Amino acid sequence: MFRFFSSIWENFKEYIILVILLTISLVTMSLSQNPAARKVKSLAFGSFSAFTSVISDMVNISGLKSENSNLRKLNAELMLQVSELRKYGIENSELKGLLGLKDTSMLPLLAGTVISKSLSRSQSTFTLNIGKKDGVASGMPVLNDHGLVGIVNSTSDNFSIVRTLKNLDLKLTVKDERSRVEGIMKWNGNDLVMIDIPKTYDIEPGDRIITSELSSIIDIPIPIGSVIGLSKVETGIFNEVRINPFVDFIRTEHVFVIAIVENKIENGEQMNFYLRKKLEINK
Amino acid sequence: MRSEYIWSVILFFPLLIIQTTIVPLIAIRGVTPDLIMILLVFYSMRCGQIYGSVLGFSYGLLFDLITGSLLGSTMLSKTLAGFIAGYFSNENKIENYFKSYIFFLIVFLCSIVDLVIYSFFTSLDLNTSILKLLFEQGILPGIYTSILSIFVVMFYPKRSIS
Repeated sequence: MFRFFSSIWENFKEYIILVILLTISLVTMSLSQNPAARKVKSLAFGSFSAFTSVISDMVNISGLKSENSNLRKLNAELMLQVSELRKYGIENSELKGLLGLKDTSMLPLLAGTVISKSLSRSQSTFTLNIGKKDGVASGMPVLNDHGLVGIVNSTSDNFSIVRTLKNLDLKLTVKDERSRVEGIMKWNGNDLVMIDIPKTYDIEPGDRIITSELSSIIDIPIPIGSVIGLSKVETGIFNEVRINPFVDFIRTEHVFVIAIVENKIENGEQMNFYLRKKLEINK
Repeated sequence: MRSEYIWSVILFFPLLIIQTTIVPLIAIRGVTPDLIMILLVFYSMRCGQIYGSVLGFSYGLLFDLITGSLLGSTMLSKTLAGFIAGYFSNENKIENYFKSYIFFLIVFLCSIVDLVIYSFFTSLDLNTSILKLLFEQGILPGIYTSILSIFVVMFYPKRSIS
């Protein structure tokens, strides 16, 4: 009997080891959302990110001069716009006061830098140099001056991982700014798309897409991208709307985290997936 | 041989730092090379299939932990890639492989297998055609990775005749 197993091992040990390792990988995949696994991930990327932040700083130095020059020009343009808007702001405050509306324009922003990127086609993530100690928590939206970058997925004390829009696991409720048509946006591996939009709905190429107030994750209107086309399906009643994001994920270096996690409770149920996960972990 | 085992682990970390900080800057239309794959293929061919599988498993585990992707996805794909690369381990032919275009082909093959398996298990939209998936997720990044493997061929030490 022993000789039999021994001969099998001698002849097929590579395949036996391969099967064992593949089985462990599949089991690990099924347990990846386990709280213990998430803690280990948090510890691992927190430790590694300390090294990548040093290299990232050195790489970013080379582009600083041109970036500074562009930023100075942008500052000047924005200064002119701000003085125009200030006039409208004063008028708006007076009108809001008359209507008794609350001012929600001041949002707490945490500035961060992208220190490493995992640009996989299906699971694109960024690592930021700010974490729990800076007030970052899972579920917080991340944006830059162009628009929405993604959502904070996990945090350690000093670093955090952001699921960008180009991540299969991130789906958001969005709307067309012009026609107010709402839908679910996701990344399909090639494009950002709004899915299951009825053919009769008014969406045209060039329309701006922003986050919708109906979203349980982000209910602040943040620009996402513009419509580049509709995949018109011959059969069925739905279109798929392709969106070109405003953010250039390859060149993004500096971002802001909105330090708010949306708390949406309906019929006693927490609608925000990230808060629900946090409550389950605390239990 | 023992020093190779140690070097294969030591070299992983600086390459991962380069992969996550510098490689995104040389992306072409979102296609990035995989430096970890080149390292995996190199050591799998030198040390055999068993070592290749275990090394791929380890690289995948560390990569998933550090980058925050689905834990187990890269483990699975890199284990298979390491196993395939180890198949070409042959003491008599290895010098020829490392000094010729055969190394590019092996890196290309392992990259395709790695990326297609990874894409499949990370729940890619199954409405996409298989050929498109193979081309965009496998062939293009595989070509880019195998082009970069030229550095191994160029700098592989020649055996001196004493």
